[in-house]
Amino acid sequence: MKIAFRPTAVLLTLSLAVVGLAACSEAPAGENDPAGAGACKPADVKLVGQVRNESNPYEASWLAGGDAFAKTVGLTQQRLTYGGDSTKQQEQISQILAGDTKCLVMNVLPNGDSDTAPIVKGADKAGAFLVTQWNKPADLKPADYKTWISHITYNGVESGKQIGDALAKSIGGSGGIIALQGVLDTAAAKDRFAGLQESLKANPGVQLLDQQTANFSRAEALTVTKTLLTKHGDKVKGIWAANDDMALGALEALQQAGKSGKVAVVGIDAVPDAVTAVQNGTMTATVSSDGTWQGGIGLAIGFCVATGKLQVKDIAADNRAFFAEQFLITKDNAADFAQPKTNPSDFDCANVFKRVAGPLK
Amino acid sequence: MTVTSGVAASRRIFRRGAAFRDAGPPVALVVLFLIFAALSPQFRSIENVQNIVDAAAVLAVVTCGITFVLMMGSIDLSAAGVMGASALTVSLLVANNRNDNDFGLAGIAVAVVLGCAFGCLSGLALVLLKVPSFMATLGVSAIGLGVATLMFAGVQPNITDAMLKSWAIERFLGLSYLTWIAAACILVGWLIQRYTRLGRYAFAIGGAEEVLTLSGVKVKPYKVAVFALAGAFYGLGGVMVTSQLGAGLVQAGNGYDFSAITAAVVGGTLLTGGRGGILHSAVGVVLVMVLTNGLVQVGVSPYWQGGVEGLIVVAAVAAAVIPQRRRNQVVK
Repeated sequence: MKIAFRPTAVLLTLSLAVVGLAACSEAPAGENDPAGAGACKPADVKLVGQVRNESNPYEASWLAGGDAFAKTVGLTQQRLTYGGDSTKQQEQISQILAGDTKCLVMNVLPNGDSDTAPIVKGADKAGAFLVTQWNKPADLKPADYKTWISHITYNGVESGKQIGDALAKSIGGSGGIIALQGVLDTAAAKDRFAGLQESLKANPGVQLLDQQTANFSRAEALTVTKTLLTKHGDKVKGIWAANDDMALGALEALQQAGKSGKVAVVGIDAVPDAVTAVQNGTMTATVSSDGTWQGGIGLAIGFCVATGKLQVKDIAADNRAFFAEQFLITKDNAADFAQPKTNPSDFDCANVFKRVAGPLK
Repeated sequence: MTVTSGVAASRRIFRRGAAFRDAGPPVALVVLFLIFAALSPQFRSIENVQNIVDAAAVLAVVTCGITFVLMMGSIDLSAAGVMGASALTVSLLVANNRNDNDFGLAGIAVAVVLGCAFGCLSGLALVLLKVPSFMATLGVSAIGLGVATLMFAGVQPNITDAMLKSWAIERFLGLSYLTWIAAACILVGWLIQRYTRLGRYAFAIGGAEEVLTLSGVKVKPYKVAVFALAGAFYGLGGVMVTSQLGAGLVQAGNGYDFSAITAAVVGGTLLTGGRGGILHSAVGVVLVMVLTNGLVQVGVSPYWQGGVEGLIVVAAVAAAVIPQRRRNQVVK
């Protein structure tokens, strides 16, 4: 007997089976009533942390922070990564929302601004508690939703200015600097560069010789910095980078050009290597958003609401969408940030909004 | 008599056509260089020329690999993943801050062999499973990135190995060791292409695979070997990036797949196979590097650069294939 292999038939059968399974698991969803918030026993809460990937130290520390919080309440965090792929992120979210969503708490890093709306709408419909970070369109507001508790982000203008000022100070208030921008069409790159421009206004002695994009990438920053160093030579006294990866690339370029230690370098994000570099003096400053705190706090806020220790209606309007506090790391305090750690008291329901630096307008 | 002279004349015309076709990219390179040199005094400084050549090193090695695949008429998108995996492998095997390994050269060899194995995998998927090379290599790239992410495990491995670090920093005759390694790769690639059966068959497979099969050549082993060779070059490329950045990055090969294809095509290697070669690609690599460096040196705003660069690349390729178009009447 000859068995014919029919790919179409197999595919159809498989997809039917998948649809069937999805239909079964979808059944319990939709029965949830957001008004029943607070009815959850701590042990019934399901914690989900979602970031792009685990292949960069920042997002890895985010998930580690989520784990650390989950441990303090005797739960485990479900770790999701979507590899920077918007479609994959939406698929993961709909899979999670298709399951039991009664006591579901999600701490999500949306891939881009436009990815936030479908996540928020899905979570709202399923009654899942949601905290988002970094990306959202300006007109989409947590205050308009029942279970989208908070959106947390950081003021890029402020951090860009902080490191700009630190750079100006370290080169003695006068001299030429070059700037390495991030991916030009991202809000982070725009805001941070706007911050540098504010800093330049405040430090008239500092001159911006050139600005180029290195797309937040260490390898691109290496090449661009080498080119700019040959272009401007010894006029370059400092390098402002919109993130630490580029700052680290610039450090390698300086080393290869034999200018190690002669040019000040600043970055943002406080990735472990950058903190080490600040600690041993090769880098001047970086800014920390505290990734481990971000990973824990989203789950903590959700957990407090799910277990009824906080009521969404009692949360101040300014705390529904806010800039969180960020920390300038210089040689003086680098040692405190060398080991990413969480402080369990930060995740106390009374303290979850302690780091609000200002409302997001 | 007339017949013979006719043949001789047509052969001469053909030769002139070939020379014209091959001259395109080098001429473009010289013209581009002169334009930038006229516009910016820093661009024509010795220091900057060293910088351009140094910056071209990694791309040159990756392009060496991809050129063999392109000559064969296949395509290879696995560079990014293979380089990521090899970068993580080498950074965990030489002296580093994550573990106590210190295998030195042996660690580098393992990373290159790993790249070779990934290439082999692409080749086997192509000839045994009949997966088109486009998809096979894209899949292998994803596998490579996956392997790299597993090895990364949340903590960046920084290399402390003095030898590997020195490759990017130490100079010989004004150029970094990495540049000399790249030059050696181009030489080895050229020798393989010119003098070995593997190189000749890669050309022949791209030119007329059916003819080769009909004359009794088993092409499948050669296809796998070409992909394996390309993988080894990517593996070495990953090692070189690690030396430059001082750390093993999962994203070590980001963008190199398409930059290498661009460089090869700009240099005159056709995507349809059977034409071009290592030296063409080497010219293409320098051309791309002169372009990126020159645009920064003359001070084109970063907001314009991406677009301007793309425009010049398309124009260069268009100029390079015009003789081709007249000869073949059609270019896919």
